[in-house]
Amino acid sequence: MIWFKLSFKNLIRRKTRSILTVLGVAIAIAVLYSLFQFQQGYQARLKGELGALGAHVMVVPKGCPYEAATIALHGGKWPRYMDEGLLAKVKANPGVAEAAGVIMDAVFAPGNKNVILLGIDEDYMKLRPAWHINGHWWGDTSGDRKDKVGSPGLGQTSASDSDSSVIMGSTSAQEAGLKPGDYWVVPEKNVRLHVVGVLNRTNTQDDGFVFLPRKTLQKISGLEAKLVIILIKAKQVDKTDALVASLKASEVDMNVFPLTELLGTIGALMASTKVFVSAIILIAVILGGVGVLNTVLMAVFERTREIGMMKAMGGSRGDVFKLVWAETILTTVLGGVAGVVIALVSSRLVEALIRGMIPYAPKGSLIGFSLPTMAMCVGLSLVLGLVAGFYPAFRAASVKPVEAIKAE
Amino acid sequence: MEIASACTIKPAVNAKGLVRTYRRGAEQIRALKGIDLNIQCGEFVGVVGHSGAGKTTLLNLIGLMDRATEGSLSVLGHDTARRGVRFDALRRKNIGFVFQEFYLMPTLTALENVLLPTMWGKARDMTEIGSAISDRVPSRQRAAELLKLVGLGQRMTHKPSELSGGEMQRVAVARALVNSPRLLLADEPTGNLDTVTRDGIFNLLLALNRDSGLTVIVATHDLSLESRFTRVVRLEDGNVV
Repeated sequence: MIWFKLSFKNLIRRKTRSILTVLGVAIAIAVLYSLFQFQQGYQARLKGELGALGAHVMVVPKGCPYEAATIALHGGKWPRYMDEGLLAKVKANPGVAEAAGVIMDAVFAPGNKNVILLGIDEDYMKLRPAWHINGHWWGDTSGDRKDKVGSPGLGQTSASDSDSSVIMGSTSAQEAGLKPGDYWVVPEKNVRLHVVGVLNRTNTQDDGFVFLPRKTLQKISGLEAKLVIILIKAKQVDKTDALVASLKASEVDMNVFPLTELLGTIGALMASTKVFVSAIILIAVILGGVGVLNTVLMAVFERTREIGMMKAMGGSRGDVFKLVWAETILTTVLGGVAGVVIALVSSRLVEALIRGMIPYAPKGSLIGFSLPTMAMCVGLSLVLGLVAGFYPAFRAASVKPVEAIKAE
Repeated sequence: MEIASACTIKPAVNAKGLVRTYRRGAEQIRALKGIDLNIQCGEFVGVVGHSGAGKTTLLNLIGLMDRATEGSLSVLGHDTARRGVRFDALRRKNIGFVFQEFYLMPTLTALENVLLPTMWGKARDMTEIGSAISDRVPSRQRAAELLKLVGLGQRMTHKPSELSGGEMQRVAVARALVNSPRLLLADEPTGNLDTVTRDGIFNLLLALNRDSGLTVIVATHDLSLESRFTRVVRLEDGNVV
């Protein structure tokens, strides 16, 4: 411990230089932590989002697969549509257990808030067995559907007015300040809908959506008989590839993706960026290490006489080596810890920057608190100190006391 | 408190035909030209001479900070020419150094500066000399007592920048004593001090020799101090005269 105490005191002799060196390492480690966590968070969140779709295969209009993935997972306005008639053909495929046609639109609410509208029907509900609706499903006049939670005392929705019903995702309802029984006017469309239910929190993208009967959304968006996506649940998951092949063969005017393939495609895209990102990290870490080496070496040259004095007092080569090495390790480990803190503090900003650079990113926080990643970063900074400190420590250990004391 | 370890070796320093040459570019400089010297335990020896006479070179050789080019040198019974002699360990256990420049660590307090030499090679010393070092434990207590001995009992927590030149040199003396040396070497210890402070430091070294039997060798160009040594070795142009 006394070695580190002495090393620390040596470091604070030149505060500005030490702080700048620590900062150099901290930035490199912050980049490492952020990007590594982003990669991990990305994979986990993407899997989560795809899993939340409750489907094995996705059918979308012809177009960019990443755009399609973004639309499927995050919703939005995509000016590509399929004919609703395709849904019947898909359902007729013997490999299909369930198929739900979805139409999507996006409108701006006051305050420039983007509201994603999903037009769905009962088929969509079959893909969402975990949904719990506070209120009830449209067209469900009994009010005792299994999904119902609590009894908000709603007026019963008649079959005729079910077309003007809406179910809000939990976040959407919270942001709009709505509860079951309220009315909601669709922004830009000026159509008044009856909020018949609010989803309990699902912790998926559904929380941010507003669900309308498909026909209603098709009508108010002027997209009658159009679909944006068909989500398919296969009868046999292990035969998904055969199902995809059969769907592709039956219709040429659509893209058919098994979601595992989508995961693989996006994963491959991320893997290619990973090489680039790893190169950036490597350069940042090397630069940090060179900075540390330079600083410590400079300090060794400046303290030649002092090192000579230590040796005159009986300090061995090993003692001096240990002292200088400890100084370097202290610098890099401090930098490592500071880097992790910087990464955590600036995680939102870094995330926003990275999201702006890649074609698709899952929603939610991707850079978070991770003890293994922290340990890896601090461990790497320790290794950096061991490597960067070796040469300066060797130089210091090689100082001859009699020459050092004479040196000016 | 035991200031110095007992010195029973006779003689403490024994040099025969000691030569030290340096190379400066193409020129070869003979700093010492064949010195014979015997210093007994408990002596208070002054190595005097003008600048460039070879005083520091001689002290560096006796202090095991340098090796002779020719001749033989035995320090506290150790033949310095023998292979395998660990100079750093010998220095640490047997020799205290005081320099003209004090070389105190600016970030450490007076007490911490005195403690510094106790850090070096401790684990190894424990196995090599066993109980001898454990007599010095706890080091902090010994360092504090040494600072009191040199008159700095009230200045232990002060950093070098808060001490005068004389006080810094007193800290350096305490630091040189912390490992209970058998031999104290002082190279121009009063060179940077005014007359009053110089006398204070000199009297301190003298008292250490007189009261604890510590062998002290002082290199100085200050001829006015000559009469106060028990023995004077006069150097001139690399020779004893």
